[in-house]
Amino acid sequence: MASTTRDLGIDPAVLVEIYRQMSRIHEVDKAIQAGLSSGRFQFTYWPMTGQEAIPAAIAPLVTPEDYMLTIYRGIHDQVAKGVPLKGLFAEALGRRDGVNKGKGGSPHISHPPSGSMLTTAIVGGNTVIANGLALANKMRGTRRVTIANFGDGATSIGTLHEAMNLAGVWKLPVIFLCQNNQIGEYTPIPEYTASKDFASRAAAYGFKGVRLDGNDPIAFHNAMKEIIAEVRDGHGPVFVEAVTMRLSQHAGVGWTTHLSKEELERAKADWPVPKTRKLLLEAGVLTAEELDAIDQAARKEVEEAIEFALASPVTPAEEMLVDVYGDPEIPPRRHQRVKRAAERLPQGERKMMAMYEAIQDAIEISLELDPEVFYLGEDIGDPPGGVFRCFKGLKQRYPERIRPTPIAEQAIIGCATGAAIAGMRPVAEIMFIDFIGVCLDQISNHAAKQRYMSGSATHVPMTIRTITGGGLGGLGAQHSQALEAILLHQPGLKVVYPSTPTDAKGLLLSCIFDDDPCVQIESMLLNYTTREEVPLGDYRIPIGVAAVRREGSDISLITYGWHVRVCLQVAEELAKEGISCEVIDLRTLLPLDYDRILSSVEKTGRALVVHAATEFCGLGSEIAATINEELFAKLKAPAARFGAAYAPIAYSRAIEDAQIPNAGTIAERVRELLKY
Amino acid sequence: MASTVLTIPKLQMSSTEGTLAEWLVEDGALVQAGQPIYTLETDKAVQEIEAPVSGRLVQKKPAGETYPVGTEIGEIVAE
Repeated sequence: MASTTRDLGIDPAVLVEIYRQMSRIHEVDKAIQAGLSSGRFQFTYWPMTGQEAIPAAIAPLVTPEDYMLTIYRGIHDQVAKGVPLKGLFAEALGRRDGVNKGKGGSPHISHPPSGSMLTTAIVGGNTVIANGLALANKMRGTRRVTIANFGDGATSIGTLHEAMNLAGVWKLPVIFLCQNNQIGEYTPIPEYTASKDFASRAAAYGFKGVRLDGNDPIAFHNAMKEIIAEVRDGHGPVFVEAVTMRLSQHAGVGWTTHLSKEELERAKADWPVPKTRKLLLEAGVLTAEELDAIDQAARKEVEEAIEFALASPVTPAEEMLVDVYGDPEIPPRRHQRVKRAAERLPQGERKMMAMYEAIQDAIEISLELDPEVFYLGEDIGDPPGGVFRCFKGLKQRYPERIRPTPIAEQAIIGCATGAAIAGMRPVAEIMFIDFIGVCLDQISNHAAKQRYMSGSATHVPMTIRTITGGGLGGLGAQHSQALEAILLHQPGLKVVYPSTPTDAKGLLLSCIFDDDPCVQIESMLLNYTTREEVPLGDYRIPIGVAAVRREGSDISLITYGWHVRVCLQVAEELAKEGISCEVIDLRTLLPLDYDRILSSVEKTGRALVVHAATEFCGLGSEIAATINEELFAKLKAPAARFGAAYAPIAYSRAIEDAQIPNAGTIAERVRELLKY
Repeated sequence: MASTVLTIPKLQMSSTEGTLAEWLVEDGALVQAGQPIYTLETDKAVQEIEAPVSGRLVQKKPAGETYPVGTEIGEIVAE
């Protein structure tokens, strides 16, 4: 290194390191664009040409222990964070040796050893998850910082609002790093926003926002040095707007076409890669030969990575059902009949509990068992101790681990997802299942898919508890729906639905200590009207095990939730007519216990699946179809399903009673099936 | 001699074909990596495609026609 001839405002060795990262990023970008143009390989690429200085200037300030999240336009962030280029290219090409086994691809990189925790292709989706990673760091008492990268386009989406609000109120050690490249996909500022800048928004959430030149690696590095130190010291979140310019297309290869030729030439003059190279040369920090050597080394590293990736086999079809869950037996498939052992309940002391009390018991046990379990949700502090009274008195005993949240379901689920990726066991409450609509992106695109997209490099051991208000009457269309089918259609989730206090406690404990995202759906009706003697202490009801609630010989009534009680009434009534009903309580909706379902129907020869959810495309259709296919020759009547009429739940009690299967209408369906 | 094949690139997620509008370099001429060598028209835009490597350009398809993504239109032979 030559002696410096002028003060650069930065340690020259650090600037060289920043340039080295920029050169690596630039060579990766160039090699991808060349490979795509020449047809050497094909994948969907969202180039980041022009934005190289931002992650390069941060790289010397963080370690692999610090967390980073980014978006589909984030290859520069991955390179600077230290994701190995061989695994990165193999991933982008969908190869077996990719960092995520070729299952995530270029828009979904996760590489925990380097601290790259999650990459989203849903604009803004990673910001709420960053909060969870930051919360885990805070609760564990570390000094790690979490940086969430996103583009200016993400400033328009509601997720970021929820993320910033929660980070502010919880003083989370997170940096929201907006790489303002001045265009959201194909729509430039000011066509999509009237905001003059984005950094000033942070003040509205009660924390600091700064606007920096993301194309000036020295000034940007120096500012970030202070910001990262502040965040490490526990002063709460910071919003950084790093102003840059995307010189490339939204996707694919080539220079941007949204700038005129003159504008592009001007923008290129501010391009940090050649600009920094020139600076190092002119300041006498490095000679042309030394700079060439850096670029040459980067080129060599990239070429070796591409050759490695092209030599790696395309991830084979046999991998299809691996990584959906930790256990490859969980995904439903044809002719699947997994035998799972039933629970053995403890023989000791029992106590009379309502379902909501049994749930509180499970909550307390989980908090005692594992310091990494914590709860978050609306109103779970005292008062009211949870709107369903499951948290009474707990906030005082576990002030950090019972976390009442803002009314912001995306923030709740994203935070739980992030903390779970960090290895904690968060339990989120979504007050009513109808509200999953406002956080379905977090549940579906992020929590459920993350294990698969990361090839199990990460997983999400979180639990969601949610309530269905149906059957009580008077709660209206937005607090009464049975929406389990929506969750069942998302590979990656497990769904349980208890009908007894004993099961509610034992299933919840199983969910909390399961390594995949689980949803426990609870019935508000059952929570307050069902009481029984519940075993004290820790026990588990295994996931994927149904229970026979009443034995019978003429027909199997297969059901769950509050319809277990209704079907038991029907069985009692029909017994008087000489019809013997077997009642199966599914308890878990995914994975289904097809072994116990089919065993029952093999015995009875008839089946009716009953649920409060809409019949059309409901779980009943799935189970009935499977029974018909598997047991066709043994059936005395076609397996049938009975669910709610195709309408939102009405406020009128007369309509609600009629639109959901009730004891009278269920009995009628059974009698019809007996006529075959 | 090493050669790099040139194919109609998939420039956008939705691209299935592209029009080789114009060769910007004569057949058989020497090109430098990064030098624009042809223009490609897609439904989204007209773009100059740069040479991925340096070498001698061999044109294999005429300009003015539309080809599916992946069609080999030429190669660059290293000198």
